[in-house]
Amino acid sequence: MKLQCVSLWLLGTILMLCSVDNHGLRRCLISTDMDHIEDSFQEIKRAIQAKDTFPNVTILSTLETLQIIKPLDVCCVTKNLLAFYVDRVFKDHQEPNPKILRKISSIANSFLYMQKTLRQCQEQRQCHCRQEVTNVTRVIHDNYDQLEVRSAAVKSLGELDIFLAWIAKNHEVTSSA
Amino acid sequence: MLPRLVVLLAAFLSRRLGSDAHGTELPSPPSVWFEAEFFHHILHWTPIPNQSESTCYEVALLRYGTGRWNSISNCSQALSYDLTAVTLDLYHSNGYRARVRAVDGSRHSNWTVTNTRFSLDEVTLTVGSVKLEIHNGFILGKIQPPRPKMAPANDTYESIFSHFREYEIAIRKVPGNFTFTHKKVKHENFSLLTSGEVGEFCVQVKPSVTSRTNKGMWSKEECVSLTRQYFTVTNVIIFFAFVLLLSGALAYCLALQLYVRRRKKLPRVLLFKKPNAFIFISQRPSPETQDTIHPLDEEAFLKVSPELRNSDLHGSTDSGFGSTKPSLQTEEPQFLLPDPHPQADRTLGNGEPPELGNSCSSGSSNSTDSGICLQEPSLSPSTGPTWEQQVGSDSRGQDDSGIGLVQNSEGQAGDTQGGSALGHDSAPEPEVPAEQDPTAVVFRGYLRQTRCAEEKATKTGCLEEELPLTGGLGPKFRGCLDDEAGLHPSALAKGYLKQDPLEMTLASSGAPTEQWNQPTEEWSLLALSSCSDLGTSDWSFAHDLAPLGCVAAPDGLLGSFNSDLVTLPLISSLHSSDSS
Repeated sequence: MKLQCVSLWLLGTILMLCSVDNHGLRRCLISTDMDHIEDSFQEIKRAIQAKDTFPNVTILSTLETLQIIKPLDVCCVTKNLLAFYVDRVFKDHQEPNPKILRKISSIANSFLYMQKTLRQCQEQRQCHCRQEVTNVTRVIHDNYDQLEVRSAAVKSLGELDIFLAWIAKNHEVTSSA
Repeated sequence: MLPRLVVLLAAFLSRRLGSDAHGTELPSPPSVWFEAEFFHHILHWTPIPNQSESTCYEVALLRYGTGRWNSISNCSQALSYDLTAVTLDLYHSNGYRARVRAVDGSRHSNWTVTNTRFSLDEVTLTVGSVKLEIHNGFILGKIQPPRPKMAPANDTYESIFSHFREYEIAIRKVPGNFTFTHKKVKHENFSLLTSGEVGEFCVQVKPSVTSRTNKGMWSKEECVSLTRQYFTVTNVIIFFAFVLLLSGALAYCLALQLYVRRRKKLPRVLLFKKPNAFIFISQRPSPETQDTIHPLDEEAFLKVSPELRNSDLHGSTDSGFGSTKPSLQTEEPQFLLPDPHPQADRTLGNGEPPELGNSCSSGSSNSTDSGICLQEPSLSPSTGPTWEQQVGSDSRGQDDSGIGLVQNSEGQAGDTQGGSALGHDSAPEPEVPAEQDPTAVVFRGYLRQTRCAEEKATKTGCLEEELPLTGGLGPKFRGCLDDEAGLHPSALAKGYLKQDPLEMTLASSGAPTEQWNQPTEEWSLLALSSCSDLGTSDWSFAHDLAPLGCVAAPDGLLGSFNSDLVTLPLISSLHSSDSS
């Protein structure tokens, strides 16, 4: 009887830890106020997307085709894309309009905060990327390189809504409103 | 070589110029935009200036990420076009881009592309329908999401916007058009508390998704009127409970009235007719048992006798009895009425007429009504002796006198045994005493008769007193026995008849002792005879006669009479035994 109780207790503890582990990755981004980012993007969406003169080209299209198998994939993809935007898109884009520039800046700051939160979660557990995820990241970078830098930057900014939708779908972020 | 190149270049340039000229002629639509709801994607554009009748618009669609523009409509006169059918996977893709250009004949304008990538963010959220119900003072609302026909089976509003759906509700009471009450609910079912208000309420709903920036659109106004509910479940239950209680109380009262407090009726068997002499006599108390016999004057009797002789006592059985025969008449009342003045009878022996005449309503013995008349003192002494005389004279040779009288009295007095007994009583009484003491004894017996009718109850005492056989008490005893014997006319008749030989023997004896014995024997016989008839009567005498040995039947008594001589000693023995 006691042995059964002990074994059951151990099993429950393991399960709990596993669930915590999964939730932990997702919880890393829950605290981020996604609504603020989305609201900011909606205000500049029309202006930015209007500048996109190449509708038949997409940069983040492969993101839709990516099959998420493990929670680690979500962690890897999120980390890679955040790095892409912060390291390449926001730096390459030059916005003349101050209002739009302000909004883009707020979005960039939110992305930096998200990167920091995700790095802390990743330090506790290793975030190994699968090959498929690595391939998807490389395609995005290739698409970005095919276009002119300004056009690519504008187009990438215009596709922010795709990235934000993907985050909402995969991280199950709760609204902080 | 060189001229060919120049010619080709000129043709090419001219062609290009021509095309440019054509393209520049028509202006392109100023703006193109999408107005989309859930699976209802409409592309709108503004017309070109200077639009002619032949101007139409060409629409093309591009799926974001693919490189090809698909032409949807070559020539559209309207300023909008429904692209729902070609954008069904809008909710699962990165979006679409659309472009429109004006076409006029062979001329085309430049393309005008939508500013933004048409994606899920641009879909305006709407509500399919709102249903309101009233339940116990609450307004229950149910919001139905949009269910467009073109939507694929597995693309529902709830599946696409799976989380964070919210609805804003605006409530207003009909009179006030601008006073709204807002409320946010997070589910499709909501309830509103009206707090007892009555009237018409109108509700509008605006959907939203908190995790998205999609805009929402207010729904159509749904109104519901709230009225006072009188037929609620609780009210109906209370009403029916009250009705049940009332009916139960009514049923209880009715049952009480019908079955508990019902006036109990006596069974018909136990019902009695109007009280008659029989009952009266039986009910009479016995304080008047003390009857004192007073000797009467013979003179008084003699005066009255002729009157009686002339009367039709012998054979008269009709009502004429009451007309001229006061004595006979009195018999009837004897049976029927109690004796209000028993003392009067007692005093009759003294020859003093009791002052009972006032008791009679008629005031005369001729009256045939109840026994009040019997008590007339004037008549009693007169009738007594006369009666006796007649009886005495007729008793020996005629059986009518006493019998007839008795019969008459019977007929007129009723069918009570008491009445007949009285008649009988009257008959033998004069006989026996007539033999021995025609005047005194008979008279007394007659008097006794009058009283007996009234004092039937007292006869018990009489019997008891006269049981001891003594000379002094003889008359008393006799009188009592006579009374008893008088109860049964038939027996008396028989006894009367039978008494003749006895009387003869008795008369011949002439000895007082013998007289004493014989009358006692006769009386005992009479008593015996009468006893048979007394079988069913409720006279107390029956009870008293029992010790005298009243058990034999009338026939038996007759036989006993026949063999009086033989049975005399027995009778006497019986009598003596009883007396002792």
